[in-house]
Amino acid sequence: MERTEIIEKLTAVFHEVFNDNNIVLSDEMTAKDVENWDSLTHMLMITKVEETFGIKFKLKELNKLKMVGDLINTIETKLQ
Amino acid sequence: MTFTSFEFLLFFPAVVLVYNLCPQRFRVWFLLAVSYAFYAFMQPVYLLLLAAVTGITYGFTRWMGATDDDDKKRKIMVWGIILVLLPLFFFKYFNFVNESIFSLLALCGVESTVPAIKWMLPVGISFYTFMAIGYMIDVNNEEVDVEKNIGAVGLFLSFFPYILSGPIERAGNMFPQLKKLPTSRPADLTAGLKLMLWGYFMKLCVADRLGIYVDAVFNNFAHHNGTTLTLATLLYPIQVYGDLGGYSLIAIGAARCMGLKIIPNFNRPFFATSMSELWRRWHMSLINWLTDYIYTPLSFALRSWKVWGIVCALMLTFLISGIWHGAALTFIVWGFVQGIYLSIEALLQKKRSSLESKHKLTKRWWYILICCVVVYLLFAFSQIFGRCATVSDAFVVIGKIFGERGSLFLDRKIKGYAILMLAILFFKDIRDEFFPSKIRFFDSKYFAVRLLSYAFIIVMIVWCGALDSSQFIYFQF
Repeated sequence: MERTEIIEKLTAVFHEVFNDNNIVLSDEMTAKDVENWDSLTHMLMITKVEETFGIKFKLKELNKLKMVGDLINTIETKLQ
Repeated sequence: MTFTSFEFLLFFPAVVLVYNLCPQRFRVWFLLAVSYAFYAFMQPVYLLLLAAVTGITYGFTRWMGATDDDDKKRKIMVWGIILVLLPLFFFKYFNFVNESIFSLLALCGVESTVPAIKWMLPVGISFYTFMAIGYMIDVNNEEVDVEKNIGAVGLFLSFFPYILSGPIERAGNMFPQLKKLPTSRPADLTAGLKLMLWGYFMKLCVADRLGIYVDAVFNNFAHHNGTTLTLATLLYPIQVYGDLGGYSLIAIGAARCMGLKIIPNFNRPFFATSMSELWRRWHMSLINWLTDYIYTPLSFALRSWKVWGIVCALMLTFLISGIWHGAALTFIVWGFVQGIYLSIEALLQKKRSSLESKHKLTKRWWYILICCVVVYLLFAFSQIFGRCATVSDAFVVIGKIFGERGSLFLDRKIKGYAILMLAILFFKDIRDEFFPSKIRFFDSKYFAVRLLSYAFIIVMIVWCGALDSSQFIYFQF
């Protein structure tokens, strides 16, 4: 899957989970930049990402995600 | 020796002075020695326990660092965690578990007992044990490197500003700073002293002044009516904020005087508009610890249950938080109530955010105010279980609050002091929350304003502070 396609699908996940259709993803984006992105909604988002892309994360991988760019990279690596 | 004792007023400037005179390579050992001396001043015999936890943490993390096998590393971590938890269990929970088991056996007709432990709880044990566990998990998760200097590990676990009541520090924040231990810059000294000054105000003028009233009411709740208990219940969260928030600021300020930046513990919690936001502003170091090491792994393991997995993880995390606070049913109920609040919020989160965005409610001052008040009331209610000695006492208090009106017990002198102290506290917090760059006093560009504001707070502390060296609430944890 191309990176642009990953970003497109991930954007739809963010819109649905964080209940905001105006979110535009960027590599540097963090939880501080998105309203309602907290430890409660974070795991809902991760579950939705796993379902959407048909992948499974490890806890160690989650702990290393600091920005949206890290999440995109991890999805990209898992899909290869 | 506590932060509010006369000895500390001599000890602290001497430590900062010698720290700066000491060659950089010896500073870790100097601070370790003074931290152990500070602890020994309170409970010398329990220094052995602190040293043992340090030895276990150092040994097991070195052992983890020596292997590349993830499975073996995880097993070493688990054994290390079990070993450092043993003293905490023994001193804090043994009697509770012992009594609970034998009460259950007695119900089944089996009469047997194991003698209760009558030793004092080692002060700070819950804090340094959590720091040790956090460090071992971070090493396992490859989030921090293994520290090879045992002096640095010893200092990380025993640093005198935070050993007694936190903030619960993290290896990732402390070890890089302990490697440098710079000479104090004038900016560090002034920033640190300002934080300490405000911390002393929060402790001595807010917490201890309110504490006189709150303690008088709660310690004799049977003799007070619902009106008085309502006021004491409403004031108790502010007392705890002044107490632990004040302690934390003194700790952060003391470390800052030596150029070290400790993680924050409170961020104006009473401006939270939801319970989850309150827990991101209240006792942040504990909640972040619980989030990283308990909630996240649990919610990750239960993620296939979707929102119900989050609810289960929340309930378990706050039950553990309650148990961390104390070995008593009151704290378990306290944790349970917090878990219920957050679970309901998680279940309603989507509906709430839809409603807020549809009507642009988050921009309306009245909506923010209502949310802050509701969150405060819910939190104050839950704190009744943290304040009362038994669950049945808590239910008596709640019963009186909702069913027994009467005249308010309030001394005019207490009222005068409390209103003045609360006005100063909330003036600063409202300013910092809504107008952070305006009406500055401690940070004014005018020297005279700065000087007068320091003098004003010092006068307040001397005039209104409860200067009888009372304990900090969180020493019992």
